[in-house]
Amino acid sequence: MRMNLSVMRLIGRVIDSDTQFHRGYQTPRPAPILRLAVAFVCILLCALSRNAWFTLAVLSVELLRTAMKPPRVMAHILRPVAVAVIFAAAFTAPAIFLGSPGSFGTITMKVCESVLVLSLMNEEVSWKETTGALSSLRLPGIVIFTLDTTVRFLVILGRFSNEMVEAVSLRGVGKRSWRTAGTGGILGTTFLKSQQMATATSEAMVCRGFNGSYAPGRRRLRANSRRQHLIDGLYALLIPLLIAGFIYTQRLMTAG
Amino acid sequence: MHIPDNYLSPAICAVMTAVMVPVWAVSIHKIRQELPKEKLPMLGVGAAFSFLGMMFNIPIPGGTTGHAVGGTLISLLLGPYAACISVSVALLLQALIFGDGGILAFGANCFNMAFVLPFVGYAVYQFIAKRVKSSRGKLVAAGIGSYVGINASALAAAIEFGIQPALFRDSAGNALYCPYGLNVSIPAMMIGHLTVFGLAEVVYTVAVYAFVSRVSPVMLHDREGSRTAPALKGLIAALIVLTPLGLLAEGTAWGEWGTEEIAATGIGYTPAGMQNGFSWGALLPDYSVSGMPEAIGYVISAAIGVALLIIIFKLLSLLGGGKAEGEAA
Repeated sequence: MRMNLSVMRLIGRVIDSDTQFHRGYQTPRPAPILRLAVAFVCILLCALSRNAWFTLAVLSVELLRTAMKPPRVMAHILRPVAVAVIFAAAFTAPAIFLGSPGSFGTITMKVCESVLVLSLMNEEVSWKETTGALSSLRLPGIVIFTLDTTVRFLVILGRFSNEMVEAVSLRGVGKRSWRTAGTGGILGTTFLKSQQMATATSEAMVCRGFNGSYAPGRRRLRANSRRQHLIDGLYALLIPLLIAGFIYTQRLMTAG
Repeated sequence: MHIPDNYLSPAICAVMTAVMVPVWAVSIHKIRQELPKEKLPMLGVGAAFSFLGMMFNIPIPGGTTGHAVGGTLISLLLGPYAACISVSVALLLQALIFGDGGILAFGANCFNMAFVLPFVGYAVYQFIAKRVKSSRGKLVAAGIGSYVGINASALAAAIEFGIQPALFRDSAGNALYCPYGLNVSIPAMMIGHLTVFGLAEVVYTVAVYAFVSRVSPVMLHDREGSRTAPALKGLIAALIVLTPLGLLAEGTAWGEWGTEEIAATGIGYTPAGMQNGFSWGALLPDYSVSGMPEAIGYVISAAIGVALLIIIFKLLSLLGGGKAEGEAA
């Protein structure tokens, strides 16, 4: 249960920081849908590449982008990357002894690149913007609604469970294991609370005119939309550039 | 000027490292005492400039090459103690990931480039800068300081190379490590540094110092400095893209030949200590990616090196070190 709580707390922190970090972004930025697309293309091409060159090139750019962030944001980005890299290295370490050290390096690097791309995107694009971008992809509203509410409820219920565990610990005498702290009761109460919250949310939505169809908010272009279009256009160029780089490195390998 | 492994005897390497330990300790202590915590990430930017400067190889007649180090530049921007740590970390990264400079010779390389160079350069700069008032005069002081600094550093490296054959020989009388004595090593190292490489260091130092003074004076005078100024980001990006210019210089720097090259330099044999010495398999040897065009490998290496240096110092600034803002200087 402690572990589940830790996961919930982690998600809570991600969402909290999501709102905190994005208050600072006032200048025009590329559209979230483009950011999602570029991140997806990056990860896909790195997974498809049969050598380390493309991954290394993307990794070098992503590392540079990370290096330009303020120290706290950088630590926030690199923490999940470090965990993923350690796990990947541990899982692929036997490849070194089985005579395939290249696989060890390539896989670890691909994991590092993929998690870094996602981590950077998570830092620069808020959850609200992400769901807005998903709606641009004509994803059914109900899917986005479920995603939205799931993440929000994970955070809220995570906090609620955490408070209950703390309350039980404070009321207990001496050092007690979590197994004796009334786990079933805590989980059950959390479940009942979730039911109450779901009902309250549904009633609140009806009060605000919810008619059964969910239209997630799309990003409105700012007054200087021409500049925004220019930024979007330049950012969109990254996709053909990435594909060209991918083809180039694959051909290089074939020629070699 | 990066001394590779097996050019110096392990005993000399140990002595040089032992000499550097108190220097590093004092430098870290001074940084904690004097440098505001908010300015610690700038150590990474300084190290990045030094790292990039060392990638621009310049040829001179005779088939050898050299480069600027930027040690004086960092000492002007952040102080000599910070420069010592910045250049040391840059050298460590170069040795571990790019195979530039030896692992065993790390202490010696740090002594030359992270201790002698920034401290001598800074001392000369201070001596002149106190006597001039105009900003142009300070730029001249920076130029002279960097010139004297890099030459002092080259002289130290030349002496380290040159004393090897006098100290370490096998039963046949052949040198075990660097085969060239002081009569060869000092002129070979100094001619290049007194002319082209010294000039390169002056140009690099003065150009970047003048640029930083103009676009980011906050870095020089203010106590705030945790954010990398956009202009500095642009300068770093431009330097990364331009690094393949360093590939135009063909040939190997004096004293940095591989074991297969050393016999062809005129001595006719490969010293035993080099043939059977320690060898380190770097991830991106000589700033190249195996199978990729040299220029692309060079740019990727530069980007990775710069990013890692800035990340390391920014993360270190979170861990502590540096005095808190508002404390007395």
